[in-house]
Amino acid sequence: MIKVAVSGINAVDNPGPGLGIIKGLREGKTPVSIVGLAYDAMEPGVYLTELIDRAYLMPYPSEGEEPFLNRFLYIKEREGLEVVIPTLDAELPLFIDLAPQLASYGLKTFLPTREQFRLRAKDRLPGVAEAMGIKIPTTLSVSSYEELGRALSELRFPVMVKGLFYKALRAYTEAEARQHFQTIAAEWGYPVILQEVVEGEEMNVVGVGDGEGGHFGLLAIKKLWITSLGKIWTGVTVTHPGLLTAAEEFVRHFRWRGAFELETIVSGEDIYLIEINPRFPAWVYFAVGVGINLPERLLRAALGQEPERDWEYPAGKLYIRFTDDLVTDLEIFQHMVTRGER
Amino acid sequence: MKISRLAMNDEGFIFDPETGNSYTVNETGLFILRKLKEGLSPAEISMALSEEYRVSFEEAERDVEEFLEDLKRYGLWRKSHD
Repeated sequence: MIKVAVSGINAVDNPGPGLGIIKGLREGKTPVSIVGLAYDAMEPGVYLTELIDRAYLMPYPSEGEEPFLNRFLYIKEREGLEVVIPTLDAELPLFIDLAPQLASYGLKTFLPTREQFRLRAKDRLPGVAEAMGIKIPTTLSVSSYEELGRALSELRFPVMVKGLFYKALRAYTEAEARQHFQTIAAEWGYPVILQEVVEGEEMNVVGVGDGEGGHFGLLAIKKLWITSLGKIWTGVTVTHPGLLTAAEEFVRHFRWRGAFELETIVSGEDIYLIEINPRFPAWVYFAVGVGINLPERLLRAALGQEPERDWEYPAGKLYIRFTDDLVTDLEIFQHMVTRGER
Repeated sequence: MKISRLAMNDEGFIFDPETGNSYTVNETGLFILRKLKEGLSPAEISMALSEEYRVSFEEAERDVEEFLEDLKRYGLWRKSHD
């Protein structure tokens, strides 16, 4: 029985990837016991005792490395943890930096390197897309009002106004773009990224790189239905050869290690790279459902085993996300609030 | 050629495995798509359609042309296709 800690168990309107990963691990051949890492006592995963054996509250990564590491080592001691699969952007830099220390305590991870993690910055995407042999929408990086004015005169509306790492707002007019620029700069700082909107099919690829240029499986999907937050609610598997070749090139060129998601827009023969996520997406269970158990393969890679590499899947498999209800006693909530664990 | 990769069922549900797009067509549309998939030219399909449904060649040709225009609009067919 392998004890695995998984974060991102916040299955809310902006769901974390944790529950999809855990479902994959539970369906795999390797017997697992799951420890859920939560940042709030109300995270739904805390209450799903069928999926998550034990749950612990973690300090926010913004509180610093020391409280985070201490809490994590406490959980490790209590549970006899062997592997951790972090899934949230905010905690990944900490886990990447702490990986050697965690390894010295016998805790295994399978994460991208710090340099690979940096590739997700929007101002790095042109270089990444070029290496993959695909395009990016016309993109300008701006850090002042003067640069903003120049950029807006060069770009075709509508444009996306984006933070370097998070958030994207669509602007149809110059006034709207200026307003969004202020919002993004206030929340996420500079540079602010301005990008022309490309019309096409929203297609994403999930995969796990082996760190040596190969991978343990890929799956390409098209979003059919998204929520107002842009989260996939219905999707379909696709076998777009150009997109899959580009994803393989991404893994080969950057020798990507660990889970990743590529977000693209496909317009006819043209593929545009929109975003790189250095982790599993919340819809990762889609891969499990079509026979490519990426979470289990990542677990096996972390354990130093050689996971399967086959990744044939049929086009036209449908993914349906749905909401659910659970009624339970106050006890778990009490434990989480008073003890920080259950 | 895009047509050759399309999955079609007898009820007229069409799925494009590369783009994930799906379409529905009526019986005539399905007939034309299947003939295109077999590699028949628009003229040959018009002939086959007029025989199958006992309509004049001109009428069949009009239907085929109209349908090909629709396919073109969805990026599924080009005149220069070979």
